[in-house]
Amino acid sequence: MGHDATGRRLKIPVTSLRLDAVDGTQWSSGADEARAQLTAALTAVGRGDRAALRQVYDMTAAKLFGICLRICGERASAEDVLQTVYIKVWERAGQFDAARASPITWLATIARNAAIDWRRSVAGRTVRDTLPEQAAFAVADDSPLADQSLVAAEEGEQLHRCLGELEDRTRLCIRAAFFDGSTYAELATRENVPLGTMKSWIRRGLLRLKDCLGDG
Amino acid sequence: MDDDLTPTEVRDALAAELALGLLEGQTRADALRLSLSDPAFAAQVAAWEAKLTPLHAEWADAQPGAAVWSRIERQLADAPADTVAAIETRLRRWRAGALLSGAVAAALAFVLITQPVPTPTPAAPQLAVARIESDAAGPLVLARYNQSNGLMQLRIHGFEPGALAPELWVIPEGGTPVSLGQIGHAGDAEMTMPPPHRLLMTEGATLAITMEPVSKTPHPAPSSVAVASGKIITI
Repeated sequence: MGHDATGRRLKIPVTSLRLDAVDGTQWSSGADEARAQLTAALTAVGRGDRAALRQVYDMTAAKLFGICLRICGERASAEDVLQTVYIKVWERAGQFDAARASPITWLATIARNAAIDWRRSVAGRTVRDTLPEQAAFAVADDSPLADQSLVAAEEGEQLHRCLGELEDRTRLCIRAAFFDGSTYAELATRENVPLGTMKSWIRRGLLRLKDCLGDG
Repeated sequence: MDDDLTPTEVRDALAAELALGLLEGQTRADALRLSLSDPAFAAQVAAWEAKLTPLHAEWADAQPGAAVWSRIERQLADAPADTVAAIETRLRRWRAGALLSGAVAAALAFVLITQPVPTPTPAAPQLAVARIESDAAGPLVLARYNQSNGLMQLRIHGFEPGALAPELWVIPEGGTPVSLGQIGHAGDAEMTMPPPHRLLMTEGATLAITMEPVSKTPHPAPSSVAVASGKIITI
């Protein structure tokens, strides 16, 4: 994995990460190799290889910064969070298990959790309060976008089908929580409903989602 | 809540809420602590994260400034021998060795909840959490820190009694470890932090535990790698 027959490490250009961006239902070989290369680099980071951390950064910084920027709402804070994300990656790469998670979703989960930690912090709340109000759900629409190459497409289809079975308002709120890092309180304010109503919508939606997705 | 959900459903919904990031304040702190102390709940949270992973395909890319990588590099290069990255890197190797030898279930989690000085403005409770996730089960320390009176309370699980005692350290970002003294192998403990040490209890600092020879006085520096550590994060 990540090496050719002569044992040299394969150089996969970063652009190959985005092959088959829109409707690929199968891994392209470019995506396979990119994923294998990222797995290899992350494993090397777990052994304390700093050059490999740079490789991971080059392959994933745009994706992870997109996550931080969306949730933090402004560049300076998002860059601070991105810095802590790669420090966490450096510290935790030894725990990455390629058998259990794809490298990009493992990294994306760290980035999203770090950005949400920041939003829930005093600093994050203070900064967010100074930002102009975002149009409610302006970007939380229902269209799956590009960059499927590192995330399994068939699982995506099932999740989107199951999300599609929820009421529109519930689906939009769940998506806003995921992509904007919104809290129950923020969603209740935006939708102009009592907090308890919002919790009820989302909890029931999540449990229905689980039923639809099946086992586990 | 008026939901007529079963307790099982409520617990599963809580896992989903934590995975999705909907919670804040005390509810979030409690859920984070539960995820550290209850492996079954932690697995539910991880399962929800896994269910939602297809959504990660939808983030729009954005280019960070070129300075970010330099800052990461500097942070890693500046970390002196015994601070965060070094301790955790050595910890990882130690853990790998311990698992290979089968000698120790090396597992580490550390959580800190802090409560800051109450402010006159009507705001949500302000808490901070530090945690290190681990897949394995093993030593676990939960801590609560009250900034208004300096009281640190610990709940300690899973250290083996032996010749060495767990010693707690606070490591300021980019600084060297400062001992907060030795703690028990299990059970609850509390101490009032000396005022100079309170200044170290800031967001981004690390709390770590090493196993040290029993001593009534704090050691000037750790003699071994950390067996648990976690960063202080305000939530």
